[in-house]
Amino acid sequence: MSGLADLAAGLSTLATPQLLFHAAWATLLGIIVGSLPGLTATMGVALMTTLTYSLDSTAAIFVLICMYVGAIYGGSRSAILLNIPGTPASAATSLDGYPLARAGRAGYAMGLATAGSALGTIVGVIMLVLIAPPLAEAALNFGSFEFFWLAVFGILISGQLTADTTPLKGYIAGILGLAVAMVGSEGIHAHVRFNMGVTDLNAGIALIPAMVGAFGFAEVLTAMWNRSGEIANKKDKSDRTLPELIDLWRYKFTIVRSGIIGTLVGIIPGVGEDIGAWASYATAKKTSKEQEKFGSGSYEGLISAETGNSAVVPGSLIPAITLAVPGSASAAVLIAAFFIHGIRPGPLIMIEQPQFIGLVSAMVLIATLFMAIYGLTLTRAFVQVLRVPYSYLMPVVFVLCVIGTYALSQRMFDIYIMVFFGLVGFLLRQMKYPMAPLVLGIILGDLLDKSLRRGLTLSDGDLLPFFTRPVSAGFVAIIVLSILMNIAAVRRIAMSPVRWLGDRFSA
Amino acid sequence: MRMALADRISAVVFLALGIALFVGGWTMDRLEIRRIHPASIPGLVPMILGVLLAICAVLLFRSSYTDTERGKVGVLVGGSWSRLGLTAILCTGYALGLVGWLSYFWATAIFTFAFALVFSLPVDGARRDQAIAVAGSLALAFGVAFSSSILFRELFLVRLP
Repeated sequence: MSGLADLAAGLSTLATPQLLFHAAWATLLGIIVGSLPGLTATMGVALMTTLTYSLDSTAAIFVLICMYVGAIYGGSRSAILLNIPGTPASAATSLDGYPLARAGRAGYAMGLATAGSALGTIVGVIMLVLIAPPLAEAALNFGSFEFFWLAVFGILISGQLTADTTPLKGYIAGILGLAVAMVGSEGIHAHVRFNMGVTDLNAGIALIPAMVGAFGFAEVLTAMWNRSGEIANKKDKSDRTLPELIDLWRYKFTIVRSGIIGTLVGIIPGVGEDIGAWASYATAKKTSKEQEKFGSGSYEGLISAETGNSAVVPGSLIPAITLAVPGSASAAVLIAAFFIHGIRPGPLIMIEQPQFIGLVSAMVLIATLFMAIYGLTLTRAFVQVLRVPYSYLMPVVFVLCVIGTYALSQRMFDIYIMVFFGLVGFLLRQMKYPMAPLVLGIILGDLLDKSLRRGLTLSDGDLLPFFTRPVSAGFVAIIVLSILMNIAAVRRIAMSPVRWLGDRFSA
Repeated sequence: MRMALADRISAVVFLALGIALFVGGWTMDRLEIRRIHPASIPGLVPMILGVLLAICAVLLFRSSYTDTERGKVGVLVGGSWSRLGLTAILCTGYALGLVGWLSYFWATAIFTFAFALVFSLPVDGARRDQAIAVAGSLALAFGVAFSSSILFRELFLVRLP
């Protein structure tokens, strides 16, 4: 229960007018960023990182978390009104949200989405305060062997689950991210690798310029490439934004289940909010008594998707804080921001800053509170935000990409990196290569490289400890299994007992 | 372009990159002079990554022939090439050319004005609409240039390019 006590301590730390003011504007800005198609949560957090250098660490991280929570929720606005998810996390929301909006119930759909998001985040926060401290303590026993497999596991699973078409593309994106991390001075002997004669590359490729490029500039290009959607204008007289408690009570099991699924998906490295939403949506559909309504304006479908994606936010913070392994692309930026502000995420967090998990949980909770207030009161204003033309919005976003990247270390080279990653990121996206494994590769490359070489040095070149230590063996088993499951014949054999049991139960 | 062709092209690029990574790792200084453990040579992980990338590239190339459903999907279709081209030219021109060559304020003002005007000007519209688009773009350009300059220079103490 010390986790809950830390949460209470965190809430009291944050209850100052100045910090609450930061939370208020950052959450509002996050919702606006998330609601605009083409601007994602990761991009918002990456850009906001460049705008919070001068704040003290608590305020800066508070602002970033509010932006993250707000943006993930904000994506539901355009998903419901335009049928275009503001962020990929809201893709499942549009399936039932847009039909409701077309039936004149946009306000009620947004109210349900708000309630679902808030409840999902609360479920996630509870799991964050309960799971993160023991996980951090368990990770204290991790050595180089375990951290190596953890990095491999993260990239592999992320590549497998986020790939749109074939897992191969996810793996390739992950390897490309790792290759990017190989550039510059390595962590054991300080030998400079692959700098290609450019001294600016000696320190490696910084994560923030790469992220701002891959998620900022690439999204500007994608937004200008795509055609814009049409706002659903129809309005039913009975429409209202405050959800009826009876609707929430009716779907209480869906809310709790989606919250848990979302949080668990968040814990899996580099998977993210969109998978959380889809997994929750699919489970809700499978277990629902109103399956036929899914896809044509189901309250349950809408709630499950929104609860699922919002619960990923606190879920993704669990490995980010305790293992320095991000649960989502936005959490990867948060890890970079932690380092910028002098906080070292990883197993030592419980020794160096034991209050930090409680503090972050409190930040998520306060952001959720502001999100709920805005979501239920500013529905009309958000509709107006969606009318801002891209011709005015996108140059502002790109200016922030450029100056924000430059401000990191005040060198032009970072701008060149941002542009390169933007152009390459756009092409890779068009060819259905997921960005999350790429980002995860960049952030985990150093850990993977150092852990492998350190482990081999410790074992005097012997590979056996990588496979015989209990946690390592567990990771190896999962990794091998997840690769083998890509083969249709293996999948058929592995799933046959499950199918047999399913047949028995349905009979 | 079909996905199958895009996959084949990208597979060739990744195969070349994988081989380059492997060769780069293989030929990398092994720091014998510093008597490091042979298992901790800096080129070890790049070599492994090179091999893995090459294997994935070969599998991707192969799957572009076998996975016909995926291969039929179009790549870079359904959007506007002119909007994309203009955006890429304007943005790269600003980031790689204007910034650093002109002062940040003027570079940003010119870029924002050009971007907003190119995409909002009704070419065949009435004079009044055109004047509104120009005025709006000008206001946005100077507003963005001024506010971002002040924000980063005065508040974040950044020496602007």
